[in-house]
Amino acid sequence: MRNPVSLKELVLFIKKRALLLISLTLLFGGAAYLITTYFMTPMYQTSTQLLINEEKSDQPYVNVSEIQANLQLINTYNVIIKSPVILEQVVEAMNSEVTVAELNEKITVQNVQDSQVVNLIVTDVDPVRAARIANQTAQVFQNDISELMNVDNVNILSPAIVTGNEKPVSPDLYLNTAAGSLTGFVIGFIITLLLEYFNNTVKDEQHLSEILSIPILGTVDTMNNKKYPDKIISGNVSNIDTRRKGYGS
Amino acid sequence: MGVKKRKKMHQKRILLTLSDPRAVISEQFRTIRTNIKFSAIDQTIKSIVITSSEAEEGKSTVAANLAVVFAQEGKKTLLIDADLRKPTVQYTFNLMNTTGLTSVLSHQVSFGQAVHKTHLSELDVLTSGPIPPNPSELLSSRAMENLMKEVKEEYDMVIFDSPPVIIVTDAQLLANQCDGSILVVRSNHTDKEKVMKAKELLNSANTRILGAVLNDKKVINNNYYQYYGEK
Repeated sequence: MRNPVSLKELVLFIKKRALLLISLTLLFGGAAYLITTYFMTPMYQTSTQLLINEEKSDQPYVNVSEIQANLQLINTYNVIIKSPVILEQVVEAMNSEVTVAELNEKITVQNVQDSQVVNLIVTDVDPVRAARIANQTAQVFQNDISELMNVDNVNILSPAIVTGNEKPVSPDLYLNTAAGSLTGFVIGFIITLLLEYFNNTVKDEQHLSEILSIPILGTVDTMNNKKYPDKIISGNVSNIDTRRKGYGS
Repeated sequence: MGVKKRKKMHQKRILLTLSDPRAVISEQFRTIRTNIKFSAIDQTIKSIVITSSEAEEGKSTVAANLAVVFAQEGKKTLLIDADLRKPTVQYTFNLMNTTGLTSVLSHQVSFGQAVHKTHLSELDVLTSGPIPPNPSELLSSRAMENLMKEVKEEYDMVIFDSPPVIIVTDAQLLANQCDGSILVVRSNHTDKEKVMKAKELLNSANTRILGAVLNDKKVINNNYYQYYGEK
């Protein structure tokens, strides 16, 4: 094998196959764009914010362990929201439009960092239905939590609303196109390297003299029809006279 | 040989040295001519075989253009198409190929009758003649030896265009009778293993390999290659 590929050679390879690289990049990017635009179902997201009040405490100062307990409480609530107890009621309220399992997938509960606010995020193909699910779930949860935990400290901070001009959260057209392009480029790059790796042909004078160890008498450039119009066609060489033309035949 | 290929040969044989002596490529052929002269110090090179490892590497083009530059230098030059399997020289020089090398070797006509003059006063061309069934035998015949002697006396430089050395033995047979051989290698096309094999075969033919010519090299930067003194 020849020496390891130098950076300069690598640049040359890429230059040589620039067309391949560019076309593969565009092809994959374009395909990703088209697939995202025409074949992927756009998903919409709505969210409801729930505020979970801390319990009234007699103590005049805030206890660290109390905050800790609150946070743990919120984590508990997060689990409860997605529990069948709540979700079954939601399904019921929505006339069995969705199943519990589907709901479980659509709903994400997020704890806003270090606060008592909980985001209830619903993802669905229909923004209106997403909002309905979010509000319904929040409602059911608010009602049921007093029963379940014997507390009455959940308030709906902001219900989910449908403005009418929701942008789909997924698929991300730009991200997908970029990822597609990158994939195309990487594939092209790998092809380039493989082609070079398996290319066993003589490349330049230096390479040739390495192989042969005989003198290189010279090189002849590619004879390009465009560069030498009319001059290279054999028929154009004029005034060739032949002696005894056709004799003896 | 398909029709398409034959057509290609008709159209693309390049004799730039004759039509445009100031072209970069013409200069490159003159460089090769000079290097051939320098490659033999004690012995004058009067006959050369041009061959390559495989077909389509540019043997005929190199042979024809080299013949032209030798002739332009004032050397009495003869180009012989010894590729009896796929002759092309007649296309390059727009000649009839009704008689030629094979006719001379089979004693149908004399060398003087078969040779063509070109408009370059120093350049004569001998086409292949009708394609024979036994090229190798013809080229290794006593008649060939005699012809070799005859043309070496009459010309300062005899250039043989030959078939690929790996595929058939013709080039080896010729190389054995000539003062030197030149291996044409086509850039980005010829497999390096095959080049090495070709060199081995020539070596075993007991010929002096004058060197290699790298053909069809892609011009990357035009500025550097611009003819010296042209602008």
